[in-house]
Amino acid sequence: MQAKFRGVMQSPVTPLKDDFSLDLPIFEKVLDFHVRTGATAISWPHHKGESLNLTIAERKLFAEAAVKVVAGRIPVTIHVSALAVEDTMELARHAQKIGADGILAITPYFWNPSREAIYAYFVRLCSSIDLPVLSYNSPSYLAGVEITGDLMSRLIQRLPNFVGVKEASFNSEKFLEISRVALALRPDFAMLTGVEYLLPSVPLGGVGSYSAAGSICPNLCAQTFEACVSGDWPRARELQYKLSRLWLLFRDQYPSSLKGGMVMMGRPVGPTRLPLPTATKERQAYIRKELETLGILDSEPHGW
Amino acid sequence: MTVFQPGLVHSPVTPFTSEQRIDFDVFGKLIEFHIRNGADALAVPMHAGESVSLSEAEKRAVLEFAIKRAQGRVPVIAHVSDAGTGIAASLARHAQSAGAAAIVATTPYYWTPPPAMVLEHFAQIGAAVRLPFFVHNAPEDMGGSKITAELALKLIAKLDNFVGVVDSGLDWQFMIELMTDAPRARPGFQLLSGTEHLVSAGAIGATGMFSSLTAIAPKLVRQIFDLCRNDKLFEARKVQEDIAELRQMLKKSEVASLKTAMRAMSRDCGDPRAPLQALNSDEQRILANALSAMTALRAEPRGW
Repeated sequence: MQAKFRGVMQSPVTPLKDDFSLDLPIFEKVLDFHVRTGATAISWPHHKGESLNLTIAERKLFAEAAVKVVAGRIPVTIHVSALAVEDTMELARHAQKIGADGILAITPYFWNPSREAIYAYFVRLCSSIDLPVLSYNSPSYLAGVEITGDLMSRLIQRLPNFVGVKEASFNSEKFLEISRVALALRPDFAMLTGVEYLLPSVPLGGVGSYSAAGSICPNLCAQTFEACVSGDWPRARELQYKLSRLWLLFRDQYPSSLKGGMVMMGRPVGPTRLPLPTATKERQAYIRKELETLGILDSEPHGW
Repeated sequence: MTVFQPGLVHSPVTPFTSEQRIDFDVFGKLIEFHIRNGADALAVPMHAGESVSLSEAEKRAVLEFAIKRAQGRVPVIAHVSDAGTGIAASLARHAQSAGAAAIVATTPYYWTPPPAMVLEHFAQIGAAVRLPFFVHNAPEDMGGSKITAELALKLIAKLDNFVGVVDSGLDWQFMIELMTDAPRARPGFQLLSGTEHLVSAGAIGATGMFSSLTAIAPKLVRQIFDLCRNDKLFEARKVQEDIAELRQMLKKSEVASLKTAMRAMSRDCGDPRAPLQALNSDEQRILANALSAMTALRAEPRGW
């Protein structure tokens, strides 16, 4: 089952109209673009998809659209993390009902939960549905709240549908501590990372990543994964350095700069909801120049 | 400047007598042990060598002794970190006159100056000598103070002898950003791993490593180093997991654990100096048992 979750998986941005309402026809185009350009799975709505700026009703609406448009061509997982745990439970039940292939959930936001509270949270979430659950570890964004090796081991032993982790500490020791424990207990456990950080994670047991820049450079994403799994490290290095320069470009005010970049690639997806800014024309022009320098304009698809 | 490539650098502990004086007899044996067991270079006195607990005169004595004892068989790198810029710069000058091959320094102890002053701190240390200068990024040891890629680029512009970063932060984003930018500004710029977590760093492009675990497991450390230097990264995973397990055992009390472990390997270097506390007898027994149960340590040398 977990073999589904490997390679570079894409988390689409959320297209908005000028009045900041959801733009369903463009969302369908984004989904189709990712499927056609090599995404190995779709996962929505990540933080990049402005998850926390969408209402629960909006999240359900687009989750349904994602499952429908992708139509089984590749797996679709739903990111159910929300400020209120009750909303997360509701989104998880909904994901199961609409036929998603799994869910992704981060450790709870804001409250600095204890290790026991994180354990109880995942036990409750995983027990409430039959779908595979991918956890999401992001200690640097969540003030040190993290899934440790010990906690991971207890969760895997307790929960048959706890099948993987998006390990986004981007730290050698933390990644290895989890992969060492998890892969010993469950050899097909999906060790995934964020932002296409494949070069440092694949040699430690990583099988893929989510993606920051996939809506700009799907070819580069696929090539980097290919170089890493085939052990072509000199090439993997070169490609990962390039992806890193793109991440530096987009990390600043993520995902507004990314949406700005998409305009330059002929795939406009509208503004970014407050409190995040929308990329100005000047910012877009700067991004275009950088994409040109990196050779992205020539090597990646333009338009839909 | 000819590029000095340190390779696998052993960071010895500083042995103390029961009166807490430096035990130079044992230190001599220890240096022989490291040279016989795979050191390409030595670095003294690093934090594992309790640099911060040595007087200025003792730091000089330790360095001079190591250089004399090594007799040119391996280069000796001098650790010159201090709180005050002037003191660190004078340690650097001493290192040069004593015959050190290079110097290494962290961000200042205790103070948290603004970035421009951290830059000035490093600039003055580096300008005090003609030796190759490595900056050590060790946020966990230094209360969170980090080296950034931006700082490294500014330091390259100021100093001809700034040749690399020793990284103990383990942050993929920083390492990749550094290796994307710094070698373009300074050809031959080196990333050295400051810990034995070498697989991800090696994938990113690290060409050297500082290790204190060589006091316990010089073969295992040499193995991870050789595998990573030859880009055998998949093959390195199992060894990296063994090393991670060993590091976990020693993590809680660091230098005190390291010295207890050395005693268990029949290479007694005494207890750490105050304010560090030796492990109590129960803790010592538990650690010794854990080490003797570790299959990965079976091949490691016991005694001197």
